Amino acid sequence: MIWENVRQEELATVAREVLAKAKGHTVWLLEGEMGAGKTTFIKALCQELKVKDAVSSPSYALVNQYLSEDGEEIYHFDFYRIKDAWEAQEIGTEEYLASGNLCLIEWSERIAPLLPTDVLTVYITISSDTTRTIRVDFP
Amino acid sequence: MDCIILAIESSCDETSASVLHNGKILSNVVASQEVHHQYGGVVPELASRAHQQNIVPVVSESLKNANINKKQLNAVAFTRGPGLLGALLVGTSFAKSFALALNIPLIEVNHMEAHVLAHFIDEPKPTFPFLCLTVSGGHTQIVLVKSALDMEVIGETQDDAVGEAFDKTAKLMGLPYPGGPLVDKYAKEGNPLAYTFPATEMPGLNYSFSGIKTAFMYFLRDQLKANPRFVEENTDDICASIQHTLVKMLLQKVKKAVSETGIRQVAIAGGVSANSGLRQALAEEAKKRNWEVFIPRFEYCTDNAAMIAMAAYFKYEAGRFTHQMVSPLARMPIGV
Repeated sequence: MIWENVRQEELATVAREVLAKAKGHTVWLLEGEMGAGKTTFIKALCQELKVKDAVSSPSYALVNQYLSEDGEEIYHFDFYRIKDAWEAQEIGTEEYLASGNLCLIEWSERIAPLLPTDVLTVYITISSDTTRTIRVDFP
Repeated sequence: MDCIILAIESSCDETSASVLHNGKILSNVVASQEVHHQYGGVVPELASRAHQQNIVPVVSESLKNANINKKQLNAVAFTRGPGLLGALLVGTSFAKSFALALNIPLIEVNHMEAHVLAHFIDEPKPTFPFLCLTVSGGHTQIVLVKSALDMEVIGETQDDAVGEAFDKTAKLMGLPYPGGPLVDKYAKEGNPLAYTFPATEMPGLNYSFSGIKTAFMYFLRDQLKANPRFVEENTDDICASIQHTLVKMLLQKVKKAVSETGIRQVAIAGGVSANSGLRQALAEEAKKRNWEVFIPRFEYCTDNAAMIAMAAYFKYEAGRFTHQMVSPLARMPIGV
């Protein structure tokens, strides 16, 4: 599925549509260059899931945990500063991924060997200074 | 009565142990190649298993440097959160076992509260109430510190931490990670007003740093189109300008917090408090506005166990102990 020239205020609609179609898929990869809006899209997803915690970038913390309205934990990863999959394994990444909770992952290429095969991928590209194109590949 | 506390910090990258005696820090050991070298082996960079390998040598070294026998300890303290669960588990389990074996009380500490209380390690110390701006790679918050045991976050970032904004703009310029300290270094030689970047306006005392990262990306893209050597030719001015903007954003909300609370004691904590631009701007504001400013020694700004020991000392005096059933918390807000 693809949404072209999405403005920031339209992100909520896109997030809602993706969540509705993604039922049952828990490992999501967010792809896009720095500044494309990966964290911003995750904020929109979490807003739809009625997360009350502040959704922030986990570049330093590696993983942030949020609580949805239904009491489900959501894991938000950012593997930007790790060097290889081994380091990610050491922090228990596989346990998080197998937990059955929603895992939203930025900079996932560094942990490629740890990823399951049925991942959902969100590609965000910059179409203009105020719009983005969002493509979602469902497994 | 004497109070000797052993404190352990393992919330993220650093494994650290510290010994405190009646409010004075006797030792503060952070796992490093040097410490580990004495025990053989190397320090893996980032891992809970690294914490497992580091914790015993770090604690031994810390007791040895303090010249304290473990039988003299009155309490064991640890970081309960916030942080990386696997990393926190190592410190928590170790502290629990240690307290159980020695039959002494256990004290849990909130890592973010400890950053604030690091100001009580050395003179000059602030008096309550004061404001603390905690700035690091993972956090940006303004804390109203009513007492050592009563704090409230009155403003915080809604997306990226300021340290991350420094690191990511550095990355966009092609500087290695973490680029924050390099931006600071080049900024010293540059013109802070050479370029302007749109600072994001947020309601209240909150911050947002993801917008400026994106604005910076567009700025570089446009400049590089006109001159492919733009970054190499203007590194100093670009660094000075971005640093100037980020520091201005930080201080704008601090000024607002001061005027809203009427509190004129302003402290900074966290790794980014090492930034010379921030220190200088804060000193200038303080002079202009008659604030009293507090900046801890750098070793107490980054993650360390001395600040955990200090925070634990306040809890010890108040008789606030925890129990053996305690488990670490990845999410752990201040003041809860």
